[in-house]
Amino acid sequence: MSLHKARIKLFEGILEKDVIDIEQLQKLAFNGVPEEKGLRSLVWKILLHYIPTEKNSWDTTLCKKRQLYQQFIDEIIVSPGGPTDHPLNMSPDSSWSTYFKDNEVLLQIDKDVRRLCPDISFFQSATEFPCSEIVNSNGVKRLHKRVEQSVLKYSTLERRGLGVAKLSNEIRRTDISSGDYTPLNEGCEAHWEVVERMLFLYAKLNPGQGYVQGMNEIIGPIYHTFACDANMEFRKYAESDCFFCFTNLMSEIRDFFIRTLDETESGINYMMGKLSDCLKKQDKAVWDRLKKQELRPQYYSFRWLTLLLSQEFSLPDVERIWDSLFADARRFDFLIFICCAMILLVRDNILNGDFASNVKLLQNFPPMDVTLILNKALEISYT
Amino acid sequence: MAKKTYDLLFKLLLIGDSGVGKTCILFRFSDNHFTTTFISTIGIDFKIKTVELRGKKIKLQIWDTAGQERFHTITTSYYRGAMGIMLVYDITNEKTFDDIVKWLRNIDEHANEDVEKMILGNKCDMEDKRVVSKERGEAIAREHGIRFMETSAKSNTNIERAFSELAEAILDKSAGREAEADLARIAVERRPSRARGRARRPACCS
Repeated sequence: MSLHKARIKLFEGILEKDVIDIEQLQKLAFNGVPEEKGLRSLVWKILLHYIPTEKNSWDTTLCKKRQLYQQFIDEIIVSPGGPTDHPLNMSPDSSWSTYFKDNEVLLQIDKDVRRLCPDISFFQSATEFPCSEIVNSNGVKRLHKRVEQSVLKYSTLERRGLGVAKLSNEIRRTDISSGDYTPLNEGCEAHWEVVERMLFLYAKLNPGQGYVQGMNEIIGPIYHTFACDANMEFRKYAESDCFFCFTNLMSEIRDFFIRTLDETESGINYMMGKLSDCLKKQDKAVWDRLKKQELRPQYYSFRWLTLLLSQEFSLPDVERIWDSLFADARRFDFLIFICCAMILLVRDNILNGDFASNVKLLQNFPPMDVTLILNKALEISYT
Repeated sequence: MAKKTYDLLFKLLLIGDSGVGKTCILFRFSDNHFTTTFISTIGIDFKIKTVELRGKKIKLQIWDTAGQERFHTITTSYYRGAMGIMLVYDITNEKTFDDIVKWLRNIDEHANEDVEKMILGNKCDMEDKRVVSKERGEAIAREHGIRFMETSAKSNTNIERAFSELAEAILDKSAGREAEADLARIAVERRPSRARGRARRPACCS
């Protein structure tokens, strides 16, 4: 039996127990979860506390959550017939004012989901399981339609001698800004449209936080993993399952996305400080070098930490890294170690590079075997 | 020490609402390519390009920023060191134009007083989707005494020109400053008693 097959067996062994030993699962998942048989998809759901460790309650939990998600879609997207009061109603809680505010959020989400993982075709392709109430609504319920309408159409009046005027109404339907992220026809929807819906619901349900750029990069890999699940039953509910896993993950990292919490112990500045301290302890020479060049941690580690490294590596590598992050019992200490490992692995370049080449290096981290990075991070965690 | 491959270093900053094309403008300028497949900028990004102006090699260090409000604390910390700021809006999107005023206020609050500014109305290749006329762009720029240009990263319109005009304006200003610094030094030398406290700091440090 190959090593890989043996690993799959190990996972299956843990997962078939009536009550899953979470510590054992964390330990095993820390070294990577195989994609086969939908293992990664299932293990992430458990590690992110979406499905409980008691197996006999899986069905009821999943059923309840999936129904709840359907309810969110109905109440927030499908049922509302649009604003009801007068458009000039000045009261801040008028339905028009809410509608416009929502559209502002939606516009930002729309821009970002159309820029999600452009190097792979997955998000531009059609989902097997579109939301039927939405895709069969003559476009009325499609979220991106709402923000599309906010662009006023205009026509050009062309005068041609003797008072003959020609009104040309040509509006070319080529939206170059969206590249290939074009909406699909009635009855179909692309994966990016599904992501757009989840993010909009999240923003509506978490009004204190709303939508912040970068959340698309957090939800993307989770959704990709779930929507590629080998198990059809799970794949069918990729959207609702992903929504709750994303919500759970966000509850742990949302402070990174909130400006007013930057300085608190859960905020992003504190995390960047932790990374800087870790680097100082591990490799004073590199730390000194960056300090001397005034190459501040914000220049690179702000993105690394906020997005859990999702913009630094290719999607398969990101998913492998996230196995370890989700399995880390003291989330997200290991994230700091990985980031520190990345710097240590390019230390020679940093010691020889000037400011500009070092910023470039850290902002465009060179392709590297991800296990090398993870092993280095593990080494750091022992010191 | 590494050999200096340039005569002057200018730090530039690109700001503006999300999705107006800041990253595309910079990519067109630094790599002379256009692609719609950009991921959104989180935090701050960085590019370098060396240009030659009036026989001087000028290294442009250009910072590209994230547009959304959340990133303002992180991005405003770059305003201070910037010598030139490009403020970008999208001619097919009214709100990005309305927000220019907000961005200008931001510059007033966080940047050096004498920073060179320029407003760019990007995506001018998309005439059929235009909602902000060129006149309105010119008017707001005139009102604030700022340079203005319409650009397209896609059709490569005015991108090179925008950067060299901004760099030239900074060059003019720094030449003026050098002359001023010279004058100041003479003044200091003439009045040694009053300037003693600060005399150890060279007045012409570059």
